[in-house]
Amino acid sequence: MRPFVVLAALAFAAAAGAAELKAWTGGATPPLVLQDLHGRTHRLADYRGKVVLVNFWATWCEPCRDEMPSIERLRQSLAGTPFEVLAVNIGEPLGRIERFLEKMPLGFPVLLDRDSSAAKAWKARVVPATFLVGPDGRIRYVHYGELDWSSEPVRKRVAELLE
Amino acid sequence: MDRRAFLQTSAAAAAASALPWRDALASTEWRTFETITRVEVLKPRGVSRAWVPLPMTDDTDWQKTVGSTWTGNAARARVASDGKYGATMVFAEWRDGEAAPVIEVTSRFMTRDRAVDLGKPVPNAEKLSPADRAFYLAPTEFIPTDGIVRKTALEITKGASSDVEKARAIYEWVVDNTFRDPKTRGCGWGDIKAMLESGNLGGKCGDLNAMFVGLARSVSVPARDVYGLRVARSEHGYASLGVGSPNVTRAQHCRAEFFAAGYGWVPVDPADVRKVVLEEPPGKLAVNDPRVEAARKRLFGSWEMNYLAYNMGHDVKLPNSSGPKLPYLMYINAETGGEMRDQLDPDSLMYSITSREVKA
Repeated sequence: MRPFVVLAALAFAAAAGAAELKAWTGGATPPLVLQDLHGRTHRLADYRGKVVLVNFWATWCEPCRDEMPSIERLRQSLAGTPFEVLAVNIGEPLGRIERFLEKMPLGFPVLLDRDSSAAKAWKARVVPATFLVGPDGRIRYVHYGELDWSSEPVRKRVAELLE
Repeated sequence: MDRRAFLQTSAAAAAASALPWRDALASTEWRTFETITRVEVLKPRGVSRAWVPLPMTDDTDWQKTVGSTWTGNAARARVASDGKYGATMVFAEWRDGEAAPVIEVTSRFMTRDRAVDLGKPVPNAEKLSPADRAFYLAPTEFIPTDGIVRKTALEITKGASSDVEKARAIYEWVVDNTFRDPKTRGCGWGDIKAMLESGNLGGKCGDLNAMFVGLARSVSVPARDVYGLRVARSEHGYASLGVGSPNVTRAQHCRAEFFAAGYGWVPVDPADVRKVVLEEPPGKLAVNDPRVEAARKRLFGSWEMNYLAYNMGHDVKLPNSSGPKLPYLMYINAETGGEMRDQLDPDSLMYSITSREVKA
């Protein structure tokens, strides 16, 4: 097969903090069915009715590590609301992820995309790649690259989805 | 195991490893690698831009992309494509006034050694659609398939009927008639018409493997160049076919493939046979040296994947660049103040590439 030009949707990933969420125009939401570190299966479809932040990341990705605390801050600030975070690790061994989480405890599930198939389905070849999924299960916003997820513009977008 | 048995086993293992390229595959296991490409645009004047090639987008049974990320001070950066071959790259742009433009791109990918047994057609082998067949037979700006190219290929393949026979004849011809010229800048730009017309068949991989591709296409054998980077030492015992340190800034290398019904895409690398001849220690080996003969046998049908494939693109127009088309995208490119920097001079542009294997 001729090389397939898939990355047109991978738009801007600008310098940290300077970028905004981009409205999603990439079509239907791909399925997401993955196990977490404890073997529990998470299905995005089961989160219907909630706003879900799906973050594709890896321990070797510096911007991923840098933005992770801001995702945790956002989650904590929205405690008690129908907001969830699913952090999808791309293709790394369990031990490496666990060592990372010992240094950076997170209050949201880390899912294991062992063969990178979910990342490919979501076109997350560049990390971090983060998607905001609305209560209806449709992707509403996407951001490629590091972002301060606890910043006011992001909170505003999330609040709109939660309304 | 007693000491004597241990010594015997060790001696046998050492002898086996001394034999050049004994088995087609060094390993059937997937290996994970990480490359870090750091680009600094020195002495910027006005708006600066850089284009950094990324690992091949499509997964194959010999290379899979895990992902890429980047850091730096670009005003904007995004993944871009050449739009025709799917050659992907990070495009970064810095505003006028940025004193020290810098970007660092990290990519992770997996590779596995690759070999095609040309004695055994595969029942479910990949098929080429008519459109793809036409695509991989078409001339490019730098690789014509008519005139002296076709005339030469017809002579080379006289008596050959199948695609494998034609490709084999062309491969042997390239090995026998070309040579690696150490004075060629970079990997050579693959102007095969000029090479044939001048009779000067010296060059590097960009020339010699482009010669294979052009000759093959001209006699209706689909073929393509693959542009990439050596990322590790050779496990087959060839110092010249791998890299000896994590610094792979100058380890760019292109390979080639041809398509044969019943087998799919078949890896070849006649340019690396000529590299073994010239560079394998102590250097300037005879063509009948066992190390050359072993490499010649294996490089028609197999690749050691101590290698990262970037893309298979020709005549690449860099997005957002006012510069001319490139014969291919394998190096880091940058421009500042509307002027392209020399992509073959990492020191003037200031880029470096490091590679390491990632163990679990």
